Formats: sequence, C-alpha cells, structure tokens
Amino acid sequence: MLEQKHNIKAWIYLLPALVLLVVFTFYPIVNAFILVFMEGYRYIDGTWTGWTLTGNIRYVLNSQLFWDAMRNTLVIVFVSVPISVIISLFIAVWLNSIKRLQGTFQTIFFLPYVTNSIAIGMAFAVIFNRDFGLFNLILGLFSIDPINWVGTGASWGRAMTALMVFIVWNGLAFKIIVFLSGLQSIDKQYYDAARIDSASKRRVFLKITVPLLSPMIAFITITSFIGAFKEYTAVVGMFGENLNPGGGGRNMMITIVGLVYESLGQVYPGATSEAAAAAIILFFMTLLLTLFNMYISKKRVHY
Amino acid sequence: MNEAATYDLERKTRVQKIVRMVFLYTMLTLFAIFVLIPFYWMILSSLKTPEQIESVPPALWLRFSEMQFSNYYEAVFSVDSQPFLRYMYNTVIVAALSTAGTVITTVLSAFAFARLNFRFKELFFLLLIMTMMIPGEMFVITNFITVNQLGWVRPDQTYWDALMAMSIPFMTSIFYIFFLRQTFKTIPDELYYAAKVDGTKDFKYLWKVMIPIARPTIITITILNAMGTWNAYIWPQLVTSTRHGRLYHYQLVSNGLRNAFSAEFQPQIHLQMAAAFMVTLPILIVFFLLKKHIMRGVSRSGIKG
Amino acid sequence: METIQIRLENLTKIFQQKGKEETVAVKDLDITIPAGKLIGLLGPSGCGKSTTLYMISGLLRPTTGKIYFGDNEVTNIPPENRGIGLVFQNYALYPHMTVRQNIMFPLENLKFPKEEALNRAQKYADLVGIGHLMDRKPKQLSGGQQQRVAIARALVKEPRVLLLDEPLSNLDARLRLQTREEIKRIQRETGITTIFVTHDQEEAMSISDEIVVMKDGVQQQKGEPQKVYDKPNNMFVAKFLGNPPINLFEGRVSDGEVLVGEMKFGTSKGKAQEVMVGVRPEGFKRVKQGGFEVHVEFVETIGRDTTLIIRNPLDETKTFRAIIDADERVEADSKVRLSVKPNKMFLFDKESGELV
Ligand SMILES: Nc1ncnc2c1ncn2[C@@H]1O[C@H](COP(=O)(O)OP(=O)(O)OP(=O)(O)O)[C@@H](O)[C@H]1O
Ligand SMILES: [Mg+2]
Repeated sequence: MLEQKHNIKAWIYLLPALVLLVVFTFYPIVNAFILVFMEGYRYIDGTWTGWTLTGNIRYVLNSQLFWDAMRNTLVIVFVSVPISVIISLFIAVWLNSIKRLQGTFQTIFFLPYVTNSIAIGMAFAVIFNRDFGLFNLILGLFSIDPINWVGTGASWGRAMTALMVFIVWNGLAFKIIVFLSGLQSIDKQYYDAARIDSASKRRVFLKITVPLLSPMIAFITITSFIGAFKEYTAVVGMFGENLNPGGGGRNMMITIVGLVYESLGQVYPGATSEAAAAAIILFFMTLLLTLFNMYISKKRVHY
Repeated sequence: MNEAATYDLERKTRVQKIVRMVFLYTMLTLFAIFVLIPFYWMILSSLKTPEQIESVPPALWLRFSEMQFSNYYEAVFSVDSQPFLRYMYNTVIVAALSTAGTVITTVLSAFAFARLNFRFKELFFLLLIMTMMIPGEMFVITNFITVNQLGWVRPDQTYWDALMAMSIPFMTSIFYIFFLRQTFKTIPDELYYAAKVDGTKDFKYLWKVMIPIARPTIITITILNAMGTWNAYIWPQLVTSTRHGRLYHYQLVSNGLRNAFSAEFQPQIHLQMAAAFMVTLPILIVFFLLKKHIMRGVSRSGIKG
Repeated sequence: METIQIRLENLTKIFQQKGKEETVAVKDLDITIPAGKLIGLLGPSGCGKSTTLYMISGLLRPTTGKIYFGDNEVTNIPPENRGIGLVFQNYALYPHMTVRQNIMFPLENLKFPKEEALNRAQKYADLVGIGHLMDRKPKQLSGGQQQRVAIARALVKEPRVLLLDEPLSNLDARLRLQTREEIKRIQRETGITTIFVTHDQEEAMSISDEIVVMKDGVQQQKGEPQKVYDKPNNMFVAKFLGNPPINLFEGRVSDGEVLVGEMKFGTSKGKAQEVMVGVRPEGFKRVKQGGFEVHVEFVETIGRDTTLIIRNPLDETKTFRAIIDADERVEADSKVRLSVKPNKMFLFDKESGELV
C-alpha cells in the first residue's frame, strides 16, 4: 500500500503549482519560439500578419543597439564575474581562518544580499559623481584629477568601470556565504595532514583548499555567469531607465535583457517578436556557456 | 637542530603568526569598509542640505546639529515627491499575496515530490530542473502578453488588476519547490509509515508533521520571497508603467524610488538618498531580526545548487 | 637516517570549551621513547591516545609540559618543522590527488627536485606494496591499500619520528594481521622511532618493543609487552591485557594463604586482608590431587587450546575460564581438580586496585 502509485492524489497536490507553471513558465517558453517566427505581431490584440523564418533574428542582429547590448553584457560577464569570484573566494578563506569578529564580518559581508539594487545603485551613482563624489575624492589623494564617471557625457569606459564596481559589490555576499559554508564543510583533517606534510600556506590554499572547493567554485561560477548575462536592474539603479550616464540620452549602457524590455515596451507591430528574438539569443548564449562550464568542470572539478 | 636554532624557529613562527593575523584583519576590514561605504554615503547624503551635497570636497561626516532630518519628511510629502507611503502599501500587499501563493503551491508540490509516488514523477522533475536553467526573460515576454490579454494591463487598469498582474505570475517557484523538497526528503520515511499505520491522512500528516519539521525552510522561503517583491523592479514597471498612460500610483517601491527626484539636470540628491534609505531600511531591519534564517537559508540554497 | 629519542615531560592537555566543563584529556605524562624503538600506546577509547599523539606531532599545543626530540625541546615548534610522519586514524588522504601525488606532496613542499621526488615516492610505494597503484585516486582503493598509501606518505620524507593513530582499525581481521606485521617490518628496516596508537591490546602486544597503557589520560604502566602482561601494576592493566580476559575473584589472605571461598589458590607473604585475586585463564593447571575441585559447565576446543568454562563456586550464576592443554580430555558437566600455577596469580588491593 505504501509503495503504490497515488496518481490522482499526487496530481491534486501538484495542481496549483502546475497550473501556474503551465501558464506562466512552460507555455511562455514554447510561445517565445513561436513569436520569433511571427511577422507583425501586436500584443494589444494578438494579431499578426505572417510568418518568417529568420526575419526577427536578422532584424535584431542588424541593429546597432543589439551589438551595444552584446558588448556591454559580455564585458559585465567576463570582467565582473571572475573578479567577484576571486575576491569572494579570498574573503571567505580569510574569514574562515579567524575566530574573533568572524560573525560580525560575516554579517557585514552579507549586507549586499539584502539590499535593493535600485537604492544602492543610486548611492553608487552619487559616490561616482564627478564633483562631489567620494570616489574622486579618494583618487584626489593620489593626485588624480576628477573624472566624470557617471555624469552626462561620461565615456563608455568610465561608466562601465563604475558599473563594474557596483556589480562586483552586489555579487559578493552570495558568493562569500556559499564559499564559507563550503570551506567549513571541508574535513579539518586534510589541513592537519597538510601541516604534517610541511605545506606552506600558499600551497595549502592552491593544492588543498581550491581543489576541495572546486565543486562549489564551479557552481558559483556557472550561476554567476548566468546571472551576469541577465544583468539589467543594476544598470537601471545606477543610470536610470534610459540606461545612459547622466540619465538623459539613451541606452549607452544597455544589456541584452535591457534590449528585451526595450522592445517589450514598444507598441509597433513586431516589437514583441524582436524581444523574443533577443531573449532566445540570450537563452542560447547562457546555454552554451553552461554547457561549456559543465564540460570544463567535468574535467577539472574533483569528484 | 641546536638550542639557538630552535629558539630562532620558535620566534620566527610566532612573528609569522602575528604578521598573518595583522594581514587577515587588515584585508577583511578594508573589504568590510568597501561593503559599508554605499550605505554610509547613502545615509550621509540623505542628511545633507542641497548646498552640502554640492560642496567640493564633500563632507565625510556631519555633526548631529547639521543633520537635515527634514529631508525625510520632504521626500515623502513634498509637491514633486512620489507617493512613497502608497508604494510601500502596494508592495506589502503584493508581497503578501505572492508569498502566500508561493508557500502554498510550494508546500503542496514539494510534498508530492518528496512523499508520493506517481506516474511521470521523474520525467516531470527533470522537466522542472531543465526549466530552471532557462533565463526568466523567455517567460516575461509571453507573460506580458498574457496579462494584457487577461485584461489586467489596460489604460483604465484598476488597482485590483494591477495587484493580480504583479502577484499571480509569481505565486510559484521551481527553485523553492526544490529547496523544500530537499528538506522534506530529510524527514525519515519511518515517520510516514508510522502515521499511515495509525490511519493518518496524507494531508493531516503534511500539516501536522512535515510542515512543523520543515518550518525553518518555509520561513526562509517566506522571507526570501517577500524580499524579492520588495526589490522587484522590472515586472511592476512593465505592467503598471505610466508610459502608456496607466496610473502610476499602482507601482512598487523600487519603481517609485528610481523615478524619485531624478530629473535629468537637477536631481535632488539629498531627497533621492532619503528615499533610497527609506526603501533600504525595512529590509535591513527584517535582516537583522531574522539573520539566522536568512543566512542559513541562502548558504544552504547555494550548497544544494 | 638519524634515529632519535622522544621524551615527554609532565605533558598535560586540558580542553576548555566555552560554556562546558574542561576535559583533562592527558595528565602528567612522563615517557621516554628510546631511539629506533616501536612503542605501543594502548588504552580504551577516549583515554587520550590521539591527544598525546597530536601533541607530539605539534598539531595540538600541550597545556603544560614539554616535549623533547633528542636534546631539543620542540614544544613550541610547529608541526611542519618537526620532521615527523603521521598516519591519521582515518588516513586523511587527499581525495583529489592520485596515490602518486599524495605520496609526493610532502616532498614537493620540501622543494625536492621533481626527479628525486618521483623516485622516492616510487621507492616507498614499493616498500609498502602499492607501487602498482600509483595513478589511482584514494576512492578507488580498498581500506588496506589506502592505509598503505598513508604510511608511504608519512615515510617518504624520511621523518625522524613516525606516529600512527590506530592505523589498522578500519581493516578486516586478516588484513589487520598482515598489515601490522608489515608495519613492524618497515619500522625495523627504516629504524624510525615509532609510536603506534591502538585500543587493541593484542595488536599492541604483538608489534611493540614496549607498550604504554593509559587510562583517563594517565599512564598506568610502561614496559615490554610480555613483562607488563606477566606483571601488571594494577587491576586495570591486568584486565585490559589478555584475551580471554583475566579471571577476578573476591578472596582473602589469611595465615599466608590465598583463599577464594574455600579454595586455596596459593600462598602470600602479605598481611591478612580482603583482596581481589586475578588469575589468567592459562594460569590454571589440571592436577590429579591437591588443588581444588570445580564443576565444568562447557568445554570449548579451538585449535591448540581447550577452554573450560567453570561454574564459579562463589556465585552459582557466574563462570570463569581456564585454558588447559588440548591433549587433556575433559567432559562437559563434570568435575575436575585445578590448581593455580605459581607466579600466575595477582593480588590486588580491593579499594585502589593496586598490586599488593
Ligand atoms: N577538541 C577537543 N575538545 C574537547 N575535548 C576533546 C577534544 N579532543 C578530544 N577531547 C576529549 O579528550 C579525551 C581524549 O580524546 P582522544 O581523542 O585523545 O581519545 P583516544 O584515546 O584517541 O580515543 P579513541 O580510541 O576513541 O580514538 C576524550 O574525552 C575527548 O572527548
Ligand atoms: Mg583516537
């Protein structure tokens, strides 16, 4: 009786979640792949004029905005993720080797996790202000003249640098806490053995800690890459809805997800299909990256 | 190894240890400062006068008598301010709705996955895992169409419409189903068998045994979900946006905040920061009250992948 | 390889945990371990064996007391500079490294040239008989093989001192027998001063040059295994050593005679008093006359030995054991006469358990 199948009962338990998932998750995934082949689709009344195989994708690939978004997204992914993974790994290792104040530091480092990206993004924008920002004040100590990081007319490189600092800040908390709990689950005996084996601190870190933590490093790297591909809120927080330094102008700091919402906000026929095309491109990029990561992890991650 | 060498070695290791500790605490303190600065600057700026904000170099601290607490009053009640109290009220309602929905659907389906046997269980589970890897933007597009077609997003959108549009799509979460299923799985089978022998119904078992045992996880899910709503920006912006002439006071705090006092050429930074801190403070308070639950939950969710 | 003497001076370790009582894990240990010898550190679980070993290795810092390697005090020297090899209770092989990498790890830390490190690793792997498994990961090895890898890793840097913490406890009976002989052989070949921790008395007796028996962090007795066995200092040591265990009877000394109930076990010059009388199973012998008569309940013959399970005349519900020659035929449920071999009987103070 215990092992029998409770088909009907089980599906009743699943029903509430299932209905929501079908409507708001499964169907949308399928529909995204339908939308991308539609021509002139209008979400207001659900009408469209015809079908196209590659029209929407081509349209997106041919727009300058897409390539701006691509450039920004890739920079965020490949610069901010490695930096924040490495920094948080070190912080976690340091945190793990102190006793006094460990709890206090842990709480402080967790704070970015429980904040509102918009609010903190706005604070960062003030910190990076050219005239009265803290950052330029600190640079001034090293006799560096004030730099326009995020104000009207700021260059792409500078705006990106400031954004990077914010995104790294924003991502530290989760990584640190996951690394720390990973470190705490490593058997202490390996460290005792390493001391007996006369390993230097550096070698203990490189030869024991990192390999034993590698499943967690792989996990964090994959999830952070995916997260960074979807970055958007941070940009809004720092640069406003227009995604541009100073709040005016348009879209210099746009990301792929930003592009999706940009298209989604348009009412002209076909805009929704362009959003779908951008989302699908994003999907395949994250998929590719995930597969690549999994392939690397298989080879490099221990056990 | 003679006496002197031994002594040298002892001293060297002691010195090394001290140097190491100094290094560790210095680095940790530096990064802690880096983490805290945005909060500090936000609070500091929120208490400055517009003149102090613009002064070069900026003041790094304020005397108590200089602090402009009136900024907070102004941020909420001034003519060009956003209806913050209204936004907070909206946010609390949407958070309550979506969290209640999420907890109910999550508990029920996690129970089915952890405890019941049914056809296509493995297949369905695999489907869910794969879905987790798909970026949310894939859903957002169609969901936007769906809520439009459901009539929830219209130029004459009612408050009720807006609440539905903002909460219903978020009333379940595959990730939380996984998370809770893991916790349910740790409850020994014997308990279930014993209950069955006593003739306990499944639902009663779920209600009386599994939920109490899994309470910490359920609390974690509740907090994380509610915090998620508090920080939600994109979706509310999309389905309540003023762009198409819809009523803007249906929005949530993050949207209100982003649009507050940010006119391009004369942003009122002191008021902006006051608003930002008002949005930040509630989550900080919740965090400090429920620190254990949140931190444990987050670190566990990381380990489980 | 130089051999070296280890001396522990008043070594004490107190664990102090927040909000809990302190635990005295090791108390006033004073032991000298002669150069090149293998010492068995023996005692029941939780008596402080591992703690002692960890203090010698430097992983734990003694609360008080000193540790000398030869003439040098090493109490405050960190483990990496002590030149010791340690085999952990559960091996602690690095799971992500192959056998070769595990064994080479200490050499790489000491910056050995690659070539030499490889050769050395191979040499020690061959010595412990796992030279053909070099490219496996610990997970792909049996318990016995893992244990040998751990020994090879401990030996490869040719330490002055080798410490083994219950290295055989995870092995099955046969492998355990085989491996302990191997450890003995390796120790002889290398001449490293070795401390071997175990709670298995037979294991300690069979491979040690000397054993140290501990109880609750305190040393009970130290000496050559056979001597300790033959002449235990107190009842704890007498009970702990020997399998089947020693028989203990409540008895008394009066008029120079040792009496258990009405049975005369032997003679004693001690003063008249109540005592505990200990006789090992092999301390009895069968006699035609004299001695005392007992009732045999069962007879177990295993290999060379015949064990008589005898009803205890003092307490009908209890039995004791005597081992006699297998040649002698005894029926179950019969009566035999026994006497106690001289020198095979120990008298212990009833209160303190000390030898009288
Ligand atoms: N880190 C510690 N903190 C507190 N008490 C400890 C600690 N390590 C050991 N002890 C205590 O010290 C005593 C001796 O422990 P130890 O590990 O040395 O025993 P052992 O003889 O090796 O036992 P076993 O045969 O079970 O390995 C025990 O009572 C133990 O509970
Ligand atoms: Mg032990």
